Amino acid sequence: MRFLKKISKSDKSFFFMAPAIAWQICFFFLPLLFVVQLSFCSDLFQNVSLEYFAQVIKTSHFFVIFRSLLLASITASCCLLIGYPVAYYVALCAPARMKSKLMFLIVLPFLTNLLVQVYAWFFILEKHGVLNKFLNFVGIDVGHLLNSQFAMYLVMFHVYLPFIIMPLYSTLEKINIRLIESSLDLGASYFQTFCRVVLPLSLHGIKTGFFLVYVTSFGEYVIPSLIAGQKKYFVGTLISEYFFIGKDWHVGAAFTCLSSATFIVSILIWQVALHRLVDRLQRA
Amino acid sequence: MFHSINFSKTMLAVFVASVYIFLYTPIMVLVLYSFNQGGFPDAWQGFSLHWYQDLFQSEEIWRAFLNSVIVACVSSFLSVSMSILLVHGVRHYKRNVVPLFYVNALIPDIVLAVGMLSLFSYLTVPLGLTTLIAGHTLLGLGFSMPIIKGRYDELDKSLIEASLDLGASMRYTFIHVIVPFLYPAILVAFLLSIIISFDDFLISFFCSGSSVQTLSLYIFSMIRSGISPVVNALSTLLLIGSCFMLFIMMMLQRNLFRD
Repeated sequence: MRFLKKISKSDKSFFFMAPAIAWQICFFFLPLLFVVQLSFCSDLFQNVSLEYFAQVIKTSHFFVIFRSLLLASITASCCLLIGYPVAYYVALCAPARMKSKLMFLIVLPFLTNLLVQVYAWFFILEKHGVLNKFLNFVGIDVGHLLNSQFAMYLVMFHVYLPFIIMPLYSTLEKINIRLIESSLDLGASYFQTFCRVVLPLSLHGIKTGFFLVYVTSFGEYVIPSLIAGQKKYFVGTLISEYFFIGKDWHVGAAFTCLSSATFIVSILIWQVALHRLVDRLQRA
Repeated sequence: MFHSINFSKTMLAVFVASVYIFLYTPIMVLVLYSFNQGGFPDAWQGFSLHWYQDLFQSEEIWRAFLNSVIVACVSSFLSVSMSILLVHGVRHYKRNVVPLFYVNALIPDIVLAVGMLSLFSYLTVPLGLTTLIAGHTLLGLGFSMPIIKGRYDELDKSLIEASLDLGASMRYTFIHVIVPFLYPAILVAFLLSIIISFDDFLISFFCSGSSVQTLSLYIFSMIRSGISPVVNALSTLLLIGSCFMLFIMMMLQRNLFRD
């Protein structure tokens, strides 16, 4: 109590900050701590053992983490490769009056319910869907498009593309177009201008967008469970299976911790890799 | 040389156009089927609004919609007002605590959802609207905090000093100087939090329990059980809703940058 009194006398602003910080601690840091606790202890913060981790490693579920890392990496790289030219065009090439309209069309899917977007793909990919009808018309029979890895990657790419275009656009838009013009005037080729002027200036946007996609697609639950079918597990689907169907929360929590740890390491690796890549291109 | 500039620019434009077509084809097909007379696998059978009629008569959807609205409004209100208070309180602080809230974007939602579920069930909090609101408020904090902080940093601090010098109390200054200045950012953050809460699936999936259903959960269960054009009608209305919200947000943002 004395502690509180001391704070309130010296500093009223503490009370302004208290609700948000308390909320953040109660519903963000405490749950995370709880998961860690659950994975190590059989009772609340007691009986520490590595038994649950051993159980996770024993099962082949360990490979699920790598599958999810692959999924996140491929999705984020594809989105970057396709999203960059789009952001570049909208930010630097499109006529000024078109810019806000084009960006409107990019942000709209981002703000649309994910389920609606996934649902929309059913009409394209179903057995009687638009794509199959078209392919049959042309004379190609591909059978079931839904419930395949290809379909899942396609939908992932579709859903996460706007995520990467938005931050890329906001950094590319700030680049002074004179810099590009003067680089070209001074005799650099397009490729050189891109590598040495545009790319380094947009590195911040690349990183923000890439990791935005990477983080959200790693734990993705909806798309794998609805599009990829029940055959293959991903981190998101497996965790929810542990918690809803298996009811083995300790092992589930251990798996969650293990995948999060691997995930954080992979983020660091990607960070270094992206820097290296941009560096190398800059010297090219 | 000039020929090649034009050529590459045209190629880029064609590429961008095809990406836009890719982005919008599924959504267009979805909207089209909501106006179709027949069910899904059938071809086009003529224009009709009867799926919308079914939608408005479905009690289950309305209940889910009402739940989503309640959760979205309450959690957005909470997260935005807490962000304003924090941003205002942090101004005299030596240590900046705002980055504390940026961590939220680094943790996959599923980990957070699992954590909340296990914490709630350990404390035997009954899952329902309250737990949903708690989770969505946290999501909203992560989005509204940077927006409001960004606007607050643009505020000329001498305005506050002037107001205090002229005899206004801190509370009066807060209500009549700071909040009006933050107003466009507050509105943007509020709308964004509402949309985020409406669109959220994972937190709702884990924290809602079996009794409460939100719109996202309803659509999820509908997709699992097969395609129904009623969901198309619902999706079309949701799309129009996000269009409208985004339009307002962009207008506000434009005003933000003007002054």
